[in-house]
Amino acid sequence: MSDRLGEPSNTPLSSTDNVMSARDVSLGFGATTVMQDITVNFPRGSINALVGPSGSGKTTFLRSMNRLNDKVPGFWLRGEVCLDGHDLNGSDVDPLILRRKVGMVFQRPNPFPMSIMDNVVAGVRAHKMAKRSELRDIAETRLAEVGLWSHISDRLDDSPFRLSGGQQQLLCLARALAVEPEVLLLDEPTSSLDPRSTEAVEELVRRLTPELTVIIVTHNLDQARRLSDNTIFFYEGQLMETGPTPQLFDAPQRLETQRYLGGAVTVNGDN
Amino acid sequence: MAIPTGTSFLSSLGGTAGISRARRMKNLLWWSACVLALALVVAPVVWILVSITAKAMANWQWTIFTQNSTGIGGGLLNTIVGTMVLTFGTGILAGFVGVGSGIFLAEFAPKNRFSAIMRGACETLSGIPSIVFGYCGYLALVVGLHWGYSLAPALIVLSLLVVPYIAKSTEIALQQVPVAYREGAEALGFTMPRTLRKIVLRPALPGILTGMILALAISVGETAPLLFTAGFSNSIPTGALVHEPIGYLTYATYTFYDEPVPAAQHLAADASFLLVVIVLGLILLTRLIVRLTQRYSPTRRDRQTRAMRRAAAAVASGTVAAGAGTATPGA
Repeated sequence: MSDRLGEPSNTPLSSTDNVMSARDVSLGFGATTVMQDITVNFPRGSINALVGPSGSGKTTFLRSMNRLNDKVPGFWLRGEVCLDGHDLNGSDVDPLILRRKVGMVFQRPNPFPMSIMDNVVAGVRAHKMAKRSELRDIAETRLAEVGLWSHISDRLDDSPFRLSGGQQQLLCLARALAVEPEVLLLDEPTSSLDPRSTEAVEELVRRLTPELTVIIVTHNLDQARRLSDNTIFFYEGQLMETGPTPQLFDAPQRLETQRYLGGAVTVNGDN
Repeated sequence: MAIPTGTSFLSSLGGTAGISRARRMKNLLWWSACVLALALVVAPVVWILVSITAKAMANWQWTIFTQNSTGIGGGLLNTIVGTMVLTFGTGILAGFVGVGSGIFLAEFAPKNRFSAIMRGACETLSGIPSIVFGYCGYLALVVGLHWGYSLAPALIVLSLLVVPYIAKSTEIALQQVPVAYREGAEALGFTMPRTLRKIVLRPALPGILTGMILALAISVGETAPLLFTAGFSNSIPTGALVHEPIGYLTYATYTFYDEPVPAAQHLAADASFLLVVIVLGLILLTRLIVRLTQRYSPTRRDRQTRAMRRAAAAVASGTVAAGAGTATPGA
């Protein structure tokens, strides 16, 4: 609900170009409601951080933005999630094409059990986006884009599981980028990585915008602060407050936001 | 407990004796038990291999590969070809049905009563004694459909016998493929069949193959259902599916060992030996296929450094299994 939005909200931004948006979205599993009445806009080319305590529904919300929850038993969603103004859950939407436009990288690196090169172009092949002869060049371009090429140019035929965790995550990013998405969903992409790899991923995300829009779930408030343009704070299934990141961190309007961003474990202050 | 001052830290941990005598004894006891258990498993294998080999080699004649059996002697050519045909046919028939139903159960089956019944039926099937399969096959196919002792009823009965193993191992192998692979493929816009083909099937292959080989090994060694359905013949199978009995190795062992003719008794030993060799061959074949298909899996060898692997390869030049072969089978 709009009255749930804190004062520095992103409503003014809605007049600009929003690549994705959620309108009055409620979602849950069976009888459980995970999120209620979420309305939020994601301006094109921006980096948006979804923050909030564990269990606040951030990841479920993120996954519904490329319909990854579709097959989860009992999942339901009301309201509209839009990409370029089209409702994602409309009957005219092919989830496979949607997922090409809205890519996703997960918390733990999940390279496929195939060579590094095949990993990068897996999506390109699936969507028949290039000729066979072009695949190697595509792999090189994408690996260079994520900063891996110089390290692994002679290991394209190797197993990806021999790369370090950070390199594996960069490989997954290269794989997601290879299908040229408009939006990239990142679900705590650096939570299993060491500081240096985290830096590499963050630096890449910065470089990818504004051509790409990034929506990132993170538990790392410092990361949200240094990386994102907008921060969206979820708490107990509600959107508590949202706004430009500096504003939200420096002058949070709601008590819950102040407490959470201030590092309180229990936001309500009950105990 | 405070560390006594003035004495060294280590000495406070056990004086001068180090590990106590009681613990040494306990360790020794458990180690002995483990070694004994291992010996109890390994010894019969060695004993069977050695005695079968010795028995066969005592009167070995290469003519078993060139001559057909005559009932009181001759060779084993017709039974070798027969066993090959039966095993190959069962592999194809049961392979399709078993892998198919395993994929269905793991990937597509709705979680409802229907799948539960199907799973239950599969498990029940694997519990039915093989001689009952043989008897039912005899009644329904050999007599009922007037097929006579022949290849078709034998293949059908053998396949029914081993389909549950293949289906179960396929299902388990697919279930063990990390969810992260499927999610990654889904998030990339893969279709369900493509995910299965390109992502899920490869890591599941060792498990599926293990089930297949187990099934083939069982069908190579089956005797009872074949007595009821294949009959026996002293000539090489022509490939006819019905109205033509077919010979097989287990029959040679089962029947020839107490013939009053030494030549026939030797054939029984040779047939046993060949059965063991075929089964071992099947196991080696799985290992080979597993190694060739698991190049990109996160197996044990990925924890070694590249240099270590190269050195090991250079030294052992192939004699040291490179790890993929030890990938845990799904079953």
